[in-house]
Amino acid sequence: MKIAWPHMGSLEVVLTSLFDEMEVDYILPPPSSQRTLEIGAKHSPEFACVPLKTTVGNLIEAIEKGADTLIMVAGKGPCRFGFYAETQRRVLEEAGYQFRMFPLEFHWDKLFELVKTINYLKQGRSWARFVRAVRFALHKAYLVDQLEQQALHQRWQDKQEGATSAALKKAYQLIRESSSFEELDRARREAFQLLYEVPKDEGREPIYIGIVGEFYLVLDPFFNLGTEEQLGRLGAYVERAVYLTDWLRPSGKNPVGGVPDRVIEEAARPYLSHTVGGEGIKSVGHAVLFKKEGFDGVVHLLPFTCMPETIAKGILPMVSKDLDIPILSLVIDEQTGKAGVATRLEAFADLARFRRKKVNHRGMLPAFRTHLA
Amino acid sequence: MNNGDNISFTTELGMEKRSMRVGVPSGLLYYRYFPLWKSFLEYLGAEVEESGKTTRAILSAGVSKAENESCLPVKVFYGHALALKDRVDAIFVPRLVSLEKKTHTCPKLLGLPDLVRSAAEDMPMVISPTIDFHRSLWFNYRAVYSIGRIFTSNPFRIIWAGIHAWRRHREYQKKLAEGWEPLLAMGKEKGSPLCEGRKLRIGVIGHHYNIYDTFTTMSLLERLKGYGADIITVDMVPDAWKEEEVSRLPKRIYWNYERELVGALLACARRRLVDGIIFIISFACGPDSMIHILCEQEKRRLGNIPMLTLVIDEHTGEAGLITRIEAFVDMLNRKKKREDREKIGELVAV
Ligand code: SF4
Ligand code: SF4
Repeated sequence: MKIAWPHMGSLEVVLTSLFDEMEVDYILPPPSSQRTLEIGAKHSPEFACVPLKTTVGNLIEAIEKGADTLIMVAGKGPCRFGFYAETQRRVLEEAGYQFRMFPLEFHWDKLFELVKTINYLKQGRSWARFVRAVRFALHKAYLVDQLEQQALHQRWQDKQEGATSAALKKAYQLIRESSSFEELDRARREAFQLLYEVPKDEGREPIYIGIVGEFYLVLDPFFNLGTEEQLGRLGAYVERAVYLTDWLRPSGKNPVGGVPDRVIEEAARPYLSHTVGGEGIKSVGHAVLFKKEGFDGVVHLLPFTCMPETIAKGILPMVSKDLDIPILSLVIDEQTGKAGVATRLEAFADLARFRRKKVNHRGMLPAFRTHLA
Repeated sequence: MNNGDNISFTTELGMEKRSMRVGVPSGLLYYRYFPLWKSFLEYLGAEVEESGKTTRAILSAGVSKAENESCLPVKVFYGHALALKDRVDAIFVPRLVSLEKKTHTCPKLLGLPDLVRSAAEDMPMVISPTIDFHRSLWFNYRAVYSIGRIFTSNPFRIIWAGIHAWRRHREYQKKLAEGWEPLLAMGKEKGSPLCEGRKLRIGVIGHHYNIYDTFTTMSLLERLKGYGADIITVDMVPDAWKEEEVSRLPKRIYWNYERELVGALLACARRRLVDGIIFIISFACGPDSMIHILCEQEKRRLGNIPMLTLVIDEHTGEAGLITRIEAFVDMLNRKKKREDREKIGELVAV
């Protein structure tokens, strides 16, 4: 039995750690590429959202590499994500692949099925071992998120372009290689050191940009065409609304992002007073919060036809006008080119810089979400 | 949680309780709930104004104002709301969250009132009770009650209005189930029913706001009648049959209207209610993009009833659509004739 799952940002680090710990076989699909998108889109329904198409592509490439057991989270809506597993299964069956699919539903009603599935997947390893592995994996996820956040905060100072990203890669490697809590502790120190040591250009003035939007797009640099890196290169201190850990831990406290769900929804209320599935209400809420914290602009990432984010996109212009903060909605589908996004981001960064000089109080730093280790 | 917006209306209007003119955009849920809303509001003393049938002007106003990524029905709805905004004191856009436990309507409907609010600078007040049957009856009662308070301070009148409206709604639903199109069922127009023993029978499966909108579907239903076909809509398939079909599926469908749709389609296929199925989807519809493949697969398992999928958007050309429908109906006719001949052949052979 060879387990595989679709890519989503740094989820890979978490799950590989989990399965390594348990010594269960898995297959990592090749990193998402143009080909992934193409085969995914070929088999998927025409106006399904991009994440569905890429995940289908990932799964196909995993099966080609020999995977036969696919796992995917499932849910209860109202956005399409909860129905992904079912649709992926049908799409792959339709395309004639052989596999077994295990949707994992984290919900009280489905607890029994969940336990059964996990029991099957862990192939006779003990439950204690499983729980330990999960705990360890979540720790890794938390650490990875913190590193990523640090990178977002410091990229604008890079003396040499891409230095932070390179350091981040090395840091990831350290985390990946550690296999006990002590090692992880050491890796954490070393990893942060790596990031701090990147040569900085002290003379620059940053602009402050927040990123909101659908979590797949926000979390995965492949999907968002490297928006974060591009913004960093354009001299932006970047903060984003969602991190993987915030999404994995359902408590609503968002330890990495730093703002609890309750506060976000409260902030969104004047504009959007009901959840609309996905990250819809959070996109609106975070835009409001970013303004309050003194950011110069907000980039909103959404997949073409995404339901919750399309609603957010309809409402954000009002937020932008009311609060006087520029908001750029980037609609992304499988045909979106990197060049087009780059030009729009450049123009947007210019606008933000201009406003920082003219309108916003020069030099005033936004109230940071302080939660770094 | 969202009662905040309900209560605020009373204060916005102050103590002034004159007859208020309330606009109801004729799109989306209009086709299912208008008689209910209208009788409720009128009983309370409001004047109800509707935007009427979709027209070219309404559609283009909606398309230019709405998000490009939106589905057609939402764009149309924008158009209707904009057409009303200068004529009324308030626009009535309920937020229908869920019709039964553990289901939702579409996210677009959840955010609809907020979308309408931000559609134009000078939007009049938007009345949007939150109806959510995933929650307690008390929650919904309060939502309805707080709407009533905008118009009257007499609690009994509100309750009576509710009961009265519910009765009207039941009558209307019955008419729909008997095969009357909404405008005929509301008594606004005259015409022939969907089923009256024509030679073919076609299941037209799709969201009510799609199939009943004569403009965006280019009078599909009328046309089919003209071709000599009876029509079965989602409303006409008994609820119990729909429920039975969806409960057989491995994964629970959590969208209310998709449950109906899938249930009706599969019931049509399993019980051979129809000779063919026309499945109507609006481009960029989220839920439908996911269930289309499910319908195809499950239907295939139930024997092969021919199915034509029509994806409509604002660019759909009339000529192309008609050609496809005509070809489909021709095919069904030929198939039917062949089958009849075979049957007669069998009888003769015996
Ligand atoms: S949030 Fe949007 S893109 Fe993501 S699954 Fe839901 S509808 Fe699709
Ligand atoms: S169900 Fe589909 S057509 Fe209806 S509002 Fe939602 S996305 Fe639009």
